[in-house]
Amino acid sequence: MDPLLRPGHNAPHLPAAMGPGYADVFDRLSRQGGRVETTGTNALPTFDAHAGAKQASFQPYQNNGGSVVAVAGKDFCVVASDTRFGLGFAVPTRMISRNLVLNDKVVLATAGMQADTCTLHKVLRIRLDMYRQNHGKDMSLGAVSQLLSNTLYYKRFFPYYTFNVLGGVDENGEGFCYGYDAIGSHEKVKVVCTGSSQSLIQPVLDNQVDGKQMYDGQPVAELSLEQTVELVKDCFSSAGERDIYTVGLDGRGQPPLYVKILKLAFVLTSHPLRSKYTRSHFIQGQSPAVRDSQTTTDTYFT
Amino acid sequence: MSGIGTGYDLSTTTFSPDGRVFQVEYSSKAVENSGTLVGVRCKDGVVMAIEKIVTSKMMVKGSCRRCHIVDLHAGLSVAGMGADGRVIVDRARQEAAQYRSIYGIEIPGRVLAERIASFVHMYSLYWFVRPFGCAVMFGSYSEEEGPQLYVIEPSGIVYRYFAYALGKGKQIAKTELEKIKFDEITCREAIKELTNIIVGKCRDESRDKAFELEMLWICDESLRKCQLVPSALVDEALELAKAAAESDDEDME
Amino acid sequence: MKIGGGHVRGGGGAADGPVKVTQTPYVVGSSVLGVKCIDGVVISSDTLASYGSMAKFRKISRIHKVSDACVIGAGGEFSDFQEIKKTMDGVMIEQFCMDDGYVLTPSAIHQYLVRVMYGRRNKMDPLWNQVVMAGFHDGKATLGMVDQVGSNFESEVIATGYGLYMGLPLLRNAYRPDITVAEAKKLLEDIMRVLFYRDARTSNSIQIAAVTKDGVEISEFYDLETKWDYQRFVDGARSGDVSTW
Repeated sequence: MDPLLRPGHNAPHLPAAMGPGYADVFDRLSRQGGRVETTGTNALPTFDAHAGAKQASFQPYQNNGGSVVAVAGKDFCVVASDTRFGLGFAVPTRMISRNLVLNDKVVLATAGMQADTCTLHKVLRIRLDMYRQNHGKDMSLGAVSQLLSNTLYYKRFFPYYTFNVLGGVDENGEGFCYGYDAIGSHEKVKVVCTGSSQSLIQPVLDNQVDGKQMYDGQPVAELSLEQTVELVKDCFSSAGERDIYTVGLDGRGQPPLYVKILKLAFVLTSHPLRSKYTRSHFIQGQSPAVRDSQTTTDTYFT
Repeated sequence: MSGIGTGYDLSTTTFSPDGRVFQVEYSSKAVENSGTLVGVRCKDGVVMAIEKIVTSKMMVKGSCRRCHIVDLHAGLSVAGMGADGRVIVDRARQEAAQYRSIYGIEIPGRVLAERIASFVHMYSLYWFVRPFGCAVMFGSYSEEEGPQLYVIEPSGIVYRYFAYALGKGKQIAKTELEKIKFDEITCREAIKELTNIIVGKCRDESRDKAFELEMLWICDESLRKCQLVPSALVDEALELAKAAAESDDEDME
Repeated sequence: MKIGGGHVRGGGGAADGPVKVTQTPYVVGSSVLGVKCIDGVVISSDTLASYGSMAKFRKISRIHKVSDACVIGAGGEFSDFQEIKKTMDGVMIEQFCMDDGYVLTPSAIHQYLVRVMYGRRNKMDPLWNQVVMAGFHDGKATLGMVDQVGSNFESEVIATGYGLYMGLPLLRNAYRPDITVAEAKKLLEDIMRVLFYRDARTSNSIQIAAVTKDGVEISEFYDLETKWDYQRFVDGARSGDVSTW
């Protein structure tokens, strides 16, 4: 269920001071349910320079699509996102970063509106830097999860239109994920997906990772890191086939055209030597589709 | 009569019986103790030079600026308290930017000079502020007006000059400035003259503190943009001036 | 700056109810195209600003030089673009006054503009533009864009306005990582011509700007060579089609 559709999050409950224009926007947002409208007046909302005097009044929100996934294992967590910047039926660019490596053990991935994503990432990066200066250590996964919630809720009445997943390893070296709605409600889980392909990917992950809907409920074998990465890649390539706001792999598991379309950030165990994988292992890329998000983060948001 | 110690010098809000505002006059003392500042208007622009007293051997060269850029076409130099000067610079930049934002053209020199003067004047009117401990020499070069040089004193008074001097060596410098026809020479030529006045005439190397020569110009050579005079030119002028001063000394001996 | 009836801002009195701030674009520019090249970066736009279907201003520049290493080109509300130009000029003069030897890099200028535009959308008083920023610094070209809600990215090829739909696929097809400025100018001219043929808000008067190691070079306005005697243009797209539908 889309988080913004939760009771109490509808426009009529907003303070009158926000004005009808605002309520309208939020209402539309709620009904849209985090998905890009493909018909009607909002189909090509912002790049349509030709509507001239007939154009609808200003909409501060824009859905740029994208899907984000986090899967936690015993001592690792995989956080992945696609890189498509969608806008109505257009794709202004195929390469934007949705991932933010917050520190060695925590990675954030954000779907939704790119401008808000960009701002949220900036704010969080600053807050984590300040924490590091004040405490002389990196923020733990749990602390980041609360900070993210507060940061989102701070804008409760003009929310960041973002759908976040947070993944990492906690102080005990165990992998965990957090899934969020746009205004800070969150849940600690082992596997989560949000964004435009949420409804396509989440059930598969529930089944494959959590063992839901399995025949006679027999326990599923715990996935290894390698298996998890392959599963996540499959999720994206499959979702990409059915969701025009998410990019997938082509049939050979290769990126279509000249850009990488799947981006994975790997947060490994607290003790890197315990795994045969290192981050650089993935930067160089087992598959050309797989790169560490940090490289892209640096390239695109410095 | 009413001089120091009679109570009329404690605030700018009280005149002395003979019509003076002592606080403002005292602030001029701060200017007189400054390193010498000379400025001239030449045929192709404005150039200013200041003898920046170096208070510490550890000071990084070029820091503690006294020549400031105000807008593309305007700049000013501060004689007296450098910190007070920066407040004026800040205000001058705001005025220049505001004028540009309203009228879409660069602020005329006269307008900016008068606005700065009004600002400075405000600080000679109220009990809760003190007058600026500095005078500023302001130069601009606009299409319409050509090169102009103004001096704004702590009282808020503003005059436009062909050439002027402030600070310790102002009397000597003014005498020297009067001998040269600056409106017939270029700024590049004037650099040497100004350097010579400061180094050769105003300063007494055996007595005066170490200094740095800082120069600002707005002229055709700088494409009518305000900038510090390139250090190569300043250094060259300094060498010449020092050599000339030495040969003068030898002559006297 | 508030222009025309585009902005409605209620009075402050309680009787006026809540303050309303809305905006719709009135006089708008259409596409801007950009290509990142091996030796620089090139952007192009036409010189038209339309008021609905009227060609309101036919010889205006939608490209502006920000620094010696950076230009911006914009579609969308023309008065807002003039405001952006003013803002950026102010920033650059501020930098000039600092006189500290540092200059804002093109990507810093881009990011500044992103923050300005995102800030305005947060105030519900947007600068209704799609701005393309092109710069060349330290031997590397940058090409980025930002729109009225603050969406922003850097990319090898960028197109805004109608160009997003009709120009971008052509750009992507023609793009090579080793494309040169000279080639890109030709490419953009070709795509501008396509846009002129099919986008009713694009004129045949265009302007191209390149940023290279030698700095910014913005062309004069010039008219595209056009050809209208293609059979399909003359007879319509259905020429020779004998089917019944």
